[in-house]
Amino acid sequence: MRPPWTGVLALIAMIWLISLSSGFARAATNGEFNTATNAIESAFVAVHNAGQNGGNVSELVTELNTALNLLQKAQAENATNPTQAATDLQNATSMAEGVSAASASVAQAGNAARRVTMATSIGGASAIVIAAVLIYIFGDRIFRRLWLFVYRNFVVRPPIG
Amino acid sequence: MDRDTAATALALVTLIAVFAVMEPIIPTNQVRFSELGVLGPNMTIGGYPTNVTQGGALRLYCYVGNHEGAVTYYQVMVKLGNSATFVSNATSADAPEIHSYSLVLADNKSTTFPVNLKLNTTGTNLRLIFELWTFDISSSQFAYTGLWNQLVINVTDGP
Repeated sequence: MRPPWTGVLALIAMIWLISLSSGFARAATNGEFNTATNAIESAFVAVHNAGQNGGNVSELVTELNTALNLLQKAQAENATNPTQAATDLQNATSMAEGVSAASASVAQAGNAARRVTMATSIGGASAIVIAAVLIYIFGDRIFRRLWLFVYRNFVVRPPIG
Repeated sequence: MDRDTAATALALVTLIAVFAVMEPIIPTNQVRFSELGVLGPNMTIGGYPTNVTQGGALRLYCYVGNHEGAVTYYQVMVKLGNSATFVSNATSADAPEIHSYSLVLADNKSTTFPVNLKLNTTGTNLRLIFELWTFDISSSQFAYTGLWNQLVINVTDGP
C-alpha cells in the first residue's frame, strides 16, 4: 500500500511541470525586446567609440550583426515559435553585452597602436630633417673625403705630347 | 651642380620624405557618404518586377555602403506608398512601414542582402519606398539620411 503523501507529491510535480511548460511556451514580451534592442544600441556605441580610437572592430561588427539577426529573427518568429524567439532574444542580448565588454580592450589596443604610429611618424620625420641639416652643413666635406678615398690610388700624369 | 641647386634638391627630397613618413597621421579630408541601392531578383540593376499578386512572394536585394569614416548602424525601412506619397531627400515618406532591416557596417564596407516581401494590398502604381536611416549616437535614435529608392509596382488579386 502506497503512503498517502505520494499522491500529494504527484500533484505538486504535475503543477510544477505544467507551470514550467507554460513558462517556456509564452511569447517574448515587449520588455525582453526592449532589453535586447537597448543592449545592441549600447554595444554599437561602444564599437563606434572603439573604431574612433583606431581599434580593429571588424570582429565586433560581425558579432553585432549576428545579434541583430537574432533580434530580427525573434521578431519574425515570436507569433509562431515563442520558445525559440525568447531563446534568440536572450542570445542576442548576451552577445551584445559581450560586444560591449570586448569593445573597451579593442579601444585600448587601438589607442596604443595609434600612439606607436604617431611616435614612429614624428620620430622618422625628425630623423629625416636632422639628416638633411647635417648633409647641408657637412655634405661638402664628407663628399670630398669620400672622393679622396675612392680615387686615392689614382695617379695624375701630365698629358703626353 | 652648384651649391644653391644642391641645397634646393636636398630641401625638396627632405620635404617629400617627411610627408611620406607623416602620411599615416595626417588627417584626410574625404567626403563622407552612405550608399543605398535596390537590386532586382538577380542581384542586378534591372529585371525589377512590375506586377505581383497579393500575398505572393516578392524577392529583391538591397545594397548598402558605408563611407562615413566610422562604424555605422543602418536601418533600411521599406514602406508601401502610392502616387500621392511624398518623399524627398529631406522628408521621409509618410506611408505604412511593411518591413525593416537593421545592420551595422564598418567604414568602407558594403553589403548586399535579400529583401523578401509579401504585399497584402492591391492597387496599381503602388510605390515600394526604401529609405536609409542611421542611428544617431547623440540622440540615441534613428535619423533619416535622405537616401531613398523606389519601385513602382502593380499588385493584383491572387489566382
